Amino acid sequence: MAHNFKNDVTVDWCPGCGDFGILTSISQALSELNLNGNDVVAISGIGCSGKTPHYLNMGGVHTLHGRSIPFATGVKLANPNLKVIVPSGDGDMLGIGAGHFVAEGRRNTGLTLIIYDNEVYGLTKGQAAPTMQLGEQTKSLARPNVFGKVNPITLALSSGYSFVARGFSFDMKQLKDLIKMAVMHDGSAVIDVLQPCPTYNNVNTMEWYRQRVYKLEEEDKNWDPIITPGNENTAEEKFQKAYTKGMEWGDRIPTGVFYDNRAVPSFTKRLNEFVPNYLDYPPSQQIVTGKDGYTPVDPYGTFAEKLI
Amino acid sequence: MDLNVAIGGPQGGGIDTSSNMINRAFAEAGYNVFGVREYHSNIKGRHSYNHLRVKEDRPRSLKYPVDIIVALDADTIFEHLEDVGPGTKIIYDRSFESSDLAQARMIMRDTARRIKETLDAAKFPNTVKGAVDYMKSRGGIPMPIPFNDVVASANAEGPAARYFNTLGSAVTLSISGLDQKFTVEAIKQVFSNKEKVVAENVRVVEAAYRYANENGLAGKPLKTLQKKQRFLITGNDGSAIGKLMGGLRLQTYYPITPASDESTILEEHEEYSFIEAEKNRLKRGGVVVVQTEDEISAVTMAQGAALTGARTSTATSGPGFSLMAEGIGFAGMDEVPLVVTLYQRGGPSTGLPTRNGQSDLLFALNTGHGEFPRIVISSGDVEECIYDAMKALNYAQRYQLPVIHLIDKNLANSTDMVPDIDLKRVQVPQTLKTVPSPDFHRYSLKTETGISEMGILGKDIFWMTGDEHDELGHVTEDTEMRDSQMRKRFMKLETALREIPANDQAVLYGPDKADITFVTWGSQKGPILDVMEDLKQEGISANLLYLKMFMPFPSEFVKKVLEKAKLVIDVESNMLAQAAMVIKLNTGISIEKSILKYNGRHMTEDEILKAAKDIYSGKSKNEIEVLQNGA
Repeated sequence: MAHNFKNDVTVDWCPGCGDFGILTSISQALSELNLNGNDVVAISGIGCSGKTPHYLNMGGVHTLHGRSIPFATGVKLANPNLKVIVPSGDGDMLGIGAGHFVAEGRRNTGLTLIIYDNEVYGLTKGQAAPTMQLGEQTKSLARPNVFGKVNPITLALSSGYSFVARGFSFDMKQLKDLIKMAVMHDGSAVIDVLQPCPTYNNVNTMEWYRQRVYKLEEEDKNWDPIITPGNENTAEEKFQKAYTKGMEWGDRIPTGVFYDNRAVPSFTKRLNEFVPNYLDYPPSQQIVTGKDGYTPVDPYGTFAEKLI
Repeated sequence: MDLNVAIGGPQGGGIDTSSNMINRAFAEAGYNVFGVREYHSNIKGRHSYNHLRVKEDRPRSLKYPVDIIVALDADTIFEHLEDVGPGTKIIYDRSFESSDLAQARMIMRDTARRIKETLDAAKFPNTVKGAVDYMKSRGGIPMPIPFNDVVASANAEGPAARYFNTLGSAVTLSISGLDQKFTVEAIKQVFSNKEKVVAENVRVVEAAYRYANENGLAGKPLKTLQKKQRFLITGNDGSAIGKLMGGLRLQTYYPITPASDESTILEEHEEYSFIEAEKNRLKRGGVVVVQTEDEISAVTMAQGAALTGARTSTATSGPGFSLMAEGIGFAGMDEVPLVVTLYQRGGPSTGLPTRNGQSDLLFALNTGHGEFPRIVISSGDVEECIYDAMKALNYAQRYQLPVIHLIDKNLANSTDMVPDIDLKRVQVPQTLKTVPSPDFHRYSLKTETGISEMGILGKDIFWMTGDEHDELGHVTEDTEMRDSQMRKRFMKLETALREIPANDQAVLYGPDKADITFVTWGSQKGPILDVMEDLKQEGISANLLYLKMFMPFPSEFVKKVLEKAKLVIDVESNMLAQAAMVIKLNTGISIEKSILKYNGRHMTEDEILKAAKDIYSGKSKNEIEVLQNGA
């Protein structure tokens, strides 16, 4: 019987919050992948999104503001067999944690980053998030936003993420499928989820998004973002197409998979080239005790060059 | 045999290689060497030197004035004016003599000004010649050597300056009376048997010995001792070795002096080897070392990895440690086994990036907001670094909290000869959990020790949050649960104080009753033990209260020792006497006299001895004696 990823913890998000759609999509995706509660972990940051792990029946760590990515990287590196999903807010990933977001693209460890993109800091009463448009004024702002916005899609592409997608929290069928693809993707994946905040963002509402979103693969029957090993020569062109589509915003907003490069080796595969038996004997699985309860490591052999 | 040597030259000029040659050559002849590296935050050009000491037994401190000073450039002569005393041999190139202080642009402006004042006051010209004459007036014996000519006589390939370091060490060794064969053997080791390089350098060694013989510089032949196998390692090495033995399998770090050497060493040994008895039983594995984007990432990544059951750690220095503050609080709140090796350098801010300091003790005890338990331990010599690193990993696992291991820069960059590493001194308990626990409550309150069963991601289903949490790990703001979880976490400190052996908390060296009771921690341990012997020669008895654990604090033992003491002198490398403040906080006892140093240089035997005698005799009425040795 498939593992039930739902638990009985009371969800305290506002009624009508886009987070519900993400939560349901995550648990459905994991169930459909036939994963167990100890095959997968959720590592979150702070804010409304940060509460997600508590609402899932699986290992979950609700970490510090902005630090979900390095925390999750540590989990994955020490146990590459685990599927690691990172539900975090736009402030978490692209504001306070932006440095980690860029660094993780370079690493390509194999995390599934789910950005709860609602353009506001909800839990602290609606300040502008890094994804809010310049000049936009939501009801909790005293004056229009004086900052420009960061584009999660093009930043993810530039940082080196090998899977970049966008979903909409009110299209759970599509979002669930995107999460399944991202979880099964070997490298690190970013899903930018348009997730209306009904309490503080009265501009980018569910209706506002519904009128604008479209699916890349429906718009263009030949849309093919996948680069398979051996076809690396198509990567540049596909990257450029993804980037161009990533720039589109306003009257029409594309969703779906922008870029899916399966030819870039993940960090864990790169490490495996240097660290002996890394993938099948990772740090979490190693026996560190000798039969007698003392160290099995030989300092004389290991540090032989330091012997005089 | 008790020989102190300072060998200096431009950073990037192979000074380290030089002292490595000297270390290894003496080691071949059965002697023991202890040394410290002093350098600028600079890649090439500024003054760098190694201060080392050779003895039959293991030296544990350094002393001024030195017996030999080797100047591989003009700046070294200027920088070490004051380190010369009666009989100090000064080896330098005669061509340096005309160099003018005003042209020595790599000497820090204020240092140059002080050198000028010294030379002017003593009426010597501001040239190397003047400086050498100044040294001579203090009893130094100039030994000018034509570096270029000697190298030319060796027919070595490439620019002569490439061989100055080999030349400098070879002359030093010849003057010390060490047989040439030992020096040649050292050259082979240093250049890892790279045939051509070895051959060129051996010819330089031969030429140096020849020159010294022909010019009457060669010393009386030194007796050869029984050579025993030893590790030639630094504090950085010691910590890396201990971590690997203690089960570390993942280390994170962001580059910073003087911490990153430890991580680099671990990365170089990512393929470790097993002892014979385990070779067939255990699978070959490796250590993962990750260079992160910053220290915030380093401290959180190590925790993520620890939650999968791996033993993990990170290493940093002051500025990086400041960035880690919030992450360390998470480990305290969420009971994550986390080892942070904190290499202390001179602060605050960027401070003295390559110089010694012990000014992070209070910060280590108070890092992060809110109240949470942690263990703070400190090492005082290279051997301790090995076993303390193993213990730190054990404590982190046993008590599920952040463990901060303090190592000062002086110790990190000390070179010591460790006779052997004891595989059976510290046990290494297994962490691997194979069966998930049913109905798992990560923060169960059913505990007498404060310790609850560790949860392993990938095995158990459990939750964690930086918020206050209930037994399952879910967010709570319930008043009673808050109180219970706070008490549970702090109960672990009482357990740790009870369980950790007394000798790992604080040690009293020397007699129970003494005229002087020194108090110290970190790298002053060796120098003070030597000072105690010096004092004994003069009829003054001394003992040392040596502190190893600051949280939890061995208050009762410290109180017992200090209440009996006649004259207590606290010795630390900081301005505020931080350990004395910790003692006062925990025991109520004030220490009235301190010997402190915060100029960033290593504390030496002679300066501690002088200050202690001044305090003891009443010659000094100061509450604080500030030490100033070191270029």
